[in-house]
Order: sequence, then C-alpha cells, then structure tokens
Amino acid sequence: MGPHVIKQWLSGPASSSAATGATKPLRPQSGSSVVSAGELDNGPARTRPSRLSAEDDAKLVFGTVFSLRNMVRKLGGPDDHFISYRTGQYKLHYYETPTNLKFVMLTDIKTNNLRMVLHQIYVSLYVEFGVSSITIYVVKNPLSRRYLEAIALLFIDIVVAVEHPGGEGVANELFEMGLESFIVCPQFYPPSGKG
Amino acid sequence: MASTKAARIGEEVWKTRVDKVNAELVTLTYGTIVAQLCKDYDSDYVEVNKQLDKMGYNIGMRLIEDFLAKSNTGRCANFRETAEMISKVGFKIFLNITPTVTNWTSDNKQFSLIFEENPLVDFVELPDDGRAQDELWYSSILCGILRGALEMVQIQIEAHFISDVLRGNDSTEMRVSLIRYIDDEMPADDE
Repeated sequence: MGPHVIKQWLSGPASSSAATGATKPLRPQSGSSVVSAGELDNGPARTRPSRLSAEDDAKLVFGTVFSLRNMVRKLGGPDDHFISYRTGQYKLHYYETPTNLKFVMLTDIKTNNLRMVLHQIYVSLYVEFGVSSITIYVVKNPLSRRYLEAIALLFIDIVVAVEHPGGEGVANELFEMGLESFIVCPQFYPPSGKG
Repeated sequence: MASTKAARIGEEVWKTRVDKVNAELVTLTYGTIVAQLCKDYDSDYVEVNKQLDKMGYNIGMRLIEDFLAKSNTGRCANFRETAEMISKVGFKIFLNITPTVTNWTSDNKQFSLIFEENPLVDFVELPDDGRAQDELWYSSILCGILRGALEMVQIQIEAHFISDVLRGNDSTEMRVSLIRYIDDEMPADDE
C-alpha cells in the first residue's frame, strides 16, 4: 500500500479521518487556491458543483463507459473496445487496462485521439508512482489552463472517491503532481490557434 | 507460435526496461522473511505457507500493473497462452528465469511450472527439525503472486508446490489450476 499523503486542499470537515485514509477525500472547500481558479468564468457548465453532484457526475461517467464498453464487446466481440465518443460539446477518450482500470479524459471536440496519452499516463505515472488503484477523469477546457488544472485535480479525487469508498490508494502526491505537469505540458495540446 | 513471441517479449523487456537488483539481495531478504515467519508462528509451517501465499497475493495484485505496463501486452486468448506469458515474460522480467511449462491436463485447465533454477532458494537449507522437510513450502510466495496477479486480469486460479529440491525432491514443481474466468460486474455498492 502506498503512502497516503493527503494534500492540503483536501482539508474539510472530515480531514482528520481522511488523513488516515479511512474516509473518502473531500473536494476543496471554498477559499483554497485551486477552487478560486475554478471560479473563473469559463462558459456554461462547470460552475463549481456541490460535492454530491460532482460525485454523481463521476458515477454517471463510470456508468456510461461501463455500459458502452459492454455494448461494444457484445457487438464487436470480446477483444473489441471503444476508443472515444463525441457529442456536440465534448469528446470522451477512453483507455482500459487488462486489469479493468479505466482511464477517461474529456476534451473539446477537436482534440485528436488521446488513447496513447491515457496509456502513457497509466505506464509512466500510475504504475511508476505506485498508485494502487485509481481512475482518472480530466476535463480540458482550451480557454483556461488554470481552470483545467483545477478541474483535473478535483476530478482525480472525486472519481476515486466513487470507485473506492474507503478512499484508499488515492492521494498520492507524486502521482498528482506528475499528472498535473503531464497534462499541462505544451506538447499535449495540438496546435489549434486557441488558448 | 505464442511461446516464441512470449520469449521475445520477455527477453526484450528484461534487457531494456527493467531496473535490476543483485539476486543475492533478493535471496537474503526473502530468506530473512521466511525465517522470521517461522519464528513468529512457532514453526507452524502450514501457517507459514499460508502467510507467504498471502503476502504473495498482495504483491501479485500490484505487480500485474507493472507487468502490463512494461510488457505492453493485451489479454491472452486462452489459458495455454497465459501459461506461456507467466513463464517467459512474467518470471523472466522479474526473476530472470523461465520455468518450463509442462504436464497439461487434457482439458487445458491445469499445468505445471518446473523451476530448474529459483533465485529464492540459493544458499537455503530448511530447518533440521524433522518437520520442515515435510511441511514447509519455502517458495510459497510465488504461488500467491500468481494468484493475485491473475485475479486482477479476471483469471481465478489455484497454485501450490508439489515438489521442491529443498526437500530433497528431484525438481521443483508448481501446479497451477484454472478455476474460472471472472465476469466483470458493476461494483456492488453502486446505485
């Protein structure tokens, strides 16, 4: 079991038990720097939802990819897998390991396939930093990089809270920092004239 | 042929992608653990076997991620392929050995791994108390590792040693049996 380093911005009503890994991590409370970045006006969605609804978001995403993946296998055979889906607003990229870890990333619709990026996150961040069990769920908003970082960090914990009610194996600082620098590095963004 | 492909992957990963440690360090560390367990459990070797298996299980559950990340392989098509991957990639990249896969049952659900070499047992002698030779399976941790690792890729197995050169047998043989493939289900506590 990896060390449970709870980041400062996870503090909240249950922080003392969270530090022991016994409680699910909480979302940042207002006043923390991460959240203030999230309060930038960036368009329609994502005005900081309440904790409950964010968890529900994560559950919905999990349910969606789970069903979609099962449907794809029924139609295309056991070795088939879905790679992404797209709506008018966003694109969801998907990578699943043979151990059923699911890596999900939401981006704008112009982004190319990020399956390899998700695989890279698994190989060089997840495994390298020894996170025992986690699902990643990241939102990319081309308008604001700070906002993106904030959302990325938030969702890591939210989804893990859903997947692992005990909150175990989540707050791996190395992994979070690695992921943060990985997704904000310039090569990650195909040139699009924006941002 | 699946087995030559597995051998190639194993070689390549071992040569290029694995940080290596001195084998003697592993041998001595493992020996210390077993010795300590024997002490802790008052030479109740059945219990020691159990504890080693449990430790291995916990290792295996994490090791599989490392295995997948390094070997970059997908799902095996059948249990025979799984056996080849275990021997020629798994054991190769973590212990630099390739135990022989043999003694298949006709239903392809059981096989043996014969260990011609086993870095865990170098310099080892079992306690001379008249019981260890019959009760202790010194390398039990390997059984647990296989069980844990395969469970994570939805393959439930049972593994145990049936002979060990440490006990004076001619060879070291582990028997691996497929129990079932685990269906991937929605987490139970999900609404």
